[in-house]
Amino acid sequence: MLDSPISRRSLLAGAVGASALLTLPRPAAPAVKKGTSLKLWILKTYVEPTNKAIEASAQRWAQKNGASVSVEYFTFEDMQTKYVAAIESNSTPDIGQLETSAPARFAGMGQLIDLTTFARQIEGQVGKAPANVSAVTMVGDKIYSLPWYVMGGFWYVWRDVFEKAKVKLPTTFEEAKQAAAALNRPKDNFYGMGQSWNRTSDGYGVMQSLMYSYGVGWAGKDGKYKSLKTPAMQTVMKWATDIYKDGIQPADTLTWTGSGNNENFIAKNIAQTSNGPSITFALENALAKATDAKDRKAKEEALANHVALPHPAGPDGRRMWAIAMSFGIFKNSKDPEAAMSLIAHLLSPEETVAVMKDSYGQFGPVLDKARAASKDYFNKNDNYRTFGRAAEWFAPTGWPGPTTAAAAEVQASNVLTDAPAKVIVDKWSVDQAIDWEDKKIKEIYDTLKG
Amino acid sequence: MTIKTLTWLGLALFLLVILVPFWWIASMSFKTYEQIQFATSIYVPSPFTWENYTGLWTETRFPLWLRNSAVTGLVVTAITIVVSSLGGYAVARLRFPGRESVASLILILYLIPPALLFIPLYRVLAELGATNHLSSLFLSYPTFTVPFATWLLIGFFKALPDELEEAALIDGAGRITAFWRVLLPLAAPGLVASAIFAFTLSWNEFLYALVFIQDEQSITVPVGLNLLIYGDVFHWGQLMAASVITTIPVVALYVFIHRWMVEGLVAGGVKG
Amino acid sequence: MALPQTVGVPAVRARASLWRRARTREAATALLFLLPLFVLVVALIFYPVYRAVWLSLTDKLVGYPERFVGLRNYAYLAQDDTFHAVIRNSLVFTVGSVGLKIVTGVLMALVLNNVIRGRNFFRGLFLLPWITSTVIIALTWRWMFDAFPGRGFFNSVLLDLGVMSRPKAFMASPEGAMMAVVVANWWRGFPFFGVSFLAGMASIPRELYEAAAVDGAAAWRRFWHVTLPGLKHVMIVTTLLSFILTINDFNIVYVMTRGGPGTATQIFATYSYQVAFGQLRWGRGVTISLFVVPILVLGIVLISRYLLRDRK
Repeated sequence: MLDSPISRRSLLAGAVGASALLTLPRPAAPAVKKGTSLKLWILKTYVEPTNKAIEASAQRWAQKNGASVSVEYFTFEDMQTKYVAAIESNSTPDIGQLETSAPARFAGMGQLIDLTTFARQIEGQVGKAPANVSAVTMVGDKIYSLPWYVMGGFWYVWRDVFEKAKVKLPTTFEEAKQAAAALNRPKDNFYGMGQSWNRTSDGYGVMQSLMYSYGVGWAGKDGKYKSLKTPAMQTVMKWATDIYKDGIQPADTLTWTGSGNNENFIAKNIAQTSNGPSITFALENALAKATDAKDRKAKEEALANHVALPHPAGPDGRRMWAIAMSFGIFKNSKDPEAAMSLIAHLLSPEETVAVMKDSYGQFGPVLDKARAASKDYFNKNDNYRTFGRAAEWFAPTGWPGPTTAAAAEVQASNVLTDAPAKVIVDKWSVDQAIDWEDKKIKEIYDTLKG
Repeated sequence: MTIKTLTWLGLALFLLVILVPFWWIASMSFKTYEQIQFATSIYVPSPFTWENYTGLWTETRFPLWLRNSAVTGLVVTAITIVVSSLGGYAVARLRFPGRESVASLILILYLIPPALLFIPLYRVLAELGATNHLSSLFLSYPTFTVPFATWLLIGFFKALPDELEEAALIDGAGRITAFWRVLLPLAAPGLVASAIFAFTLSWNEFLYALVFIQDEQSITVPVGLNLLIYGDVFHWGQLMAASVITTIPVVALYVFIHRWMVEGLVAGGVKG
Repeated sequence: MALPQTVGVPAVRARASLWRRARTREAATALLFLLPLFVLVVALIFYPVYRAVWLSLTDKLVGYPERFVGLRNYAYLAQDDTFHAVIRNSLVFTVGSVGLKIVTGVLMALVLNNVIRGRNFFRGLFLLPWITSTVIIALTWRWMFDAFPGRGFFNSVLLDLGVMSRPKAFMASPEGAMMAVVVANWWRGFPFFGVSFLAGMASIPRELYEAAAVDGAAAWRRFWHVTLPGLKHVMIVTTLLSFILTINDFNIVYVMTRGGPGTATQIFATYSYQVAFGQLRWGRGVTISLFVVPILVLGIVLISRYLLRDRK
């Protein structure tokens, strides 16, 4: 179709040229001119104390260096629009927190500064991330962003429900499905599972965890398109649609918004669901707001009975899609050196732990020095210990290949969750859905080379 | 069934249909998260709580959004009134070639959808450096408020008697003075109607505000409401409280002026 | 302006040129008065439309410079099954809600027409949905249809009345979701129809009713043969207007369903937004919106004809 595919290489060449001048002169603190002002964009999570903690950390740097930082937030909702708008109108911040597929996308547009040398230089100070995580920050062998934490997905279950029915806690997707069937009590409005194939990360994230755990990917290790029409994908699609067909989920699961599964789990309408630590946060919060002794007891029980298991494994391993947040510096930044200094500060073990302490377990730090330092924090209880391991299981968008712009678009096009929806709602066959999905993905790769 | 009974029945039915949704959100705005989550005291919240309203004020940037929406509404209304009264008068009362086409064109303009314009308009505004500030709204909102208001005012101006203006002209006043001193005051109901429409359209607009502005300082209420939904947690109660608060100014304005507004709607729309 | 009959030819000519000068002055004043409107319209409506057309002929991707690709976006959309669904959904959404609005509008006008005391009050009250922000209306109806009894009005009521034993997820199926967005759009829009029709009824001459009554026609026949035909003009104009505005709606679907489940409620505006800001493909995104232009033009031509006819 395209006679000359959009080559990122030509754009990257420009970026590389610019960044050659921006390596640090010496390993420790980069020089920060007094009075420098930086704009920092951060993801606003549902745990307000965490957002404040990150801001406080940035302000500490500002104070220490006689500079100033203005922090702006984006949410899961407007993340895309905000960055797109900024890029198109040339009003990007100095430092932006980037989600899983953003570094590849923005680097491909030539928007990010090459941080390869910088990353190596601060390794002594902050440590490095495991290979599976740092993969999202790289294009080829150049690093474009520095990873900070991972917001993992975990498999939430009600332990008391399992114990009462004498069902074993699941470790694989197959076990989860069987457990759901065993625990299902539609007459009492209680269902075995709540997995929505919606357009939030609760949908496309879990679909990817499912696929990757079964060894299925739409791209090869080289990042090029690979056909989805395999037996393994058939099994995946069957699992994804059987949980609806078998009636082990509430009827409206497909239309849940991001909070749908949280609410249903907390209301004990479902026995299992995939979610980030926000459920634990909600239960801890509810306990803190308990009104009387009886209410208190109920909330304590809920807290004790809910378990966050590691995300289920498939025949090919345990892989968990997660939101990996990293820091990138935009090419329009007027003071990249100061920006690097701020990043080094934020990523340092001390600062990371300070933020972690207000995070209710949301963040799984990925740099090994920070992970070591926050070990005590995550030792609080079993759930937190699981949260802390998030980086272990992380698999990025586009696995087993690198996270490319094309992979990012596949996720953004909603094709991953639209496909099972077509089987469930429009009554397509599994084969039809896979064919359709495969065609759409191929189209994206064909028009977006690189 | 007499006509009278049918009428009363119909009235009651319409009242229900129209008021129930309002009551539903208002009632939920007074419930706590737990009351909503666990479906206790469904129809009438008890205990009653103001925590959503106070939370809205202290925990979110709702006051800022209100301010932004208000400022935008006022500026856009001012621009709209000026442009549309001038234009409406010209089409209604001045003779010039192509007058009828201009009149039709104005209506057509109102029908060009924001859904079509939002992408290219974004680029134009970005090139002007207006994006990310309220000025992007000051420039883009008139694209739909002005055609509508002009069309309204054409109808209003046309309905005014010629004689007063003629009298002023004969007395030696120029067109502009005649417009300013004689017609404008007479068209007050139409102007008020247009102003209220412009303010309301601007207060409620969503797509442009969503796309053109990301800067936290410049968020307007509809976009802010959208943002109250972040991550996995919906602050239901606060969303409802915000909805209630947002609707009040428009309803209040409206209660005082609805008669004029309906007259304006009808004069401009129905009678052509 | 009447010229005195008794004036001779040179005087007539002098008068005529004076008259022409006055006319030119009038036209000049008109131009002056219309200037702000003109500037606004050209700079912020015509120019962006022109840019939109240009953009639709490129492969513009966010962050990359655009390249001319001719009709490729159009060709892609023509064979894209998602886009076919979008067209279907948009038509269902629009025809469904406009149809309901017409019927309800007539009923509302009939009811209000028969209310003598407090008519203005009720008329004002009934217009409340029309002035409320569509974002709030969308949120409200999403909650009305919610499957959670604590939040969903219909579920709460039906469960409490014993009509249902389990909560029903109204918006979980494609039909249900489409129904929900149609209801929200209808609720918002029917008051406008009602008020317009009410005004239209007021301008139907009483004599027609009296004549029908004299002929012994019952209420129903009076309605059918006098009221409805009398409303024909208003109906057509209002319907066309509403059709055009509804088919381009964004807020209601975006806030209520984001176009889901799957693509069940995806309509032109929401799909355009997703492609442009989710998939970062602006060329294609604009093309989606441009597809509505033919319908727009048709609607506009029809409206202009009806309005112009009336003015004459």
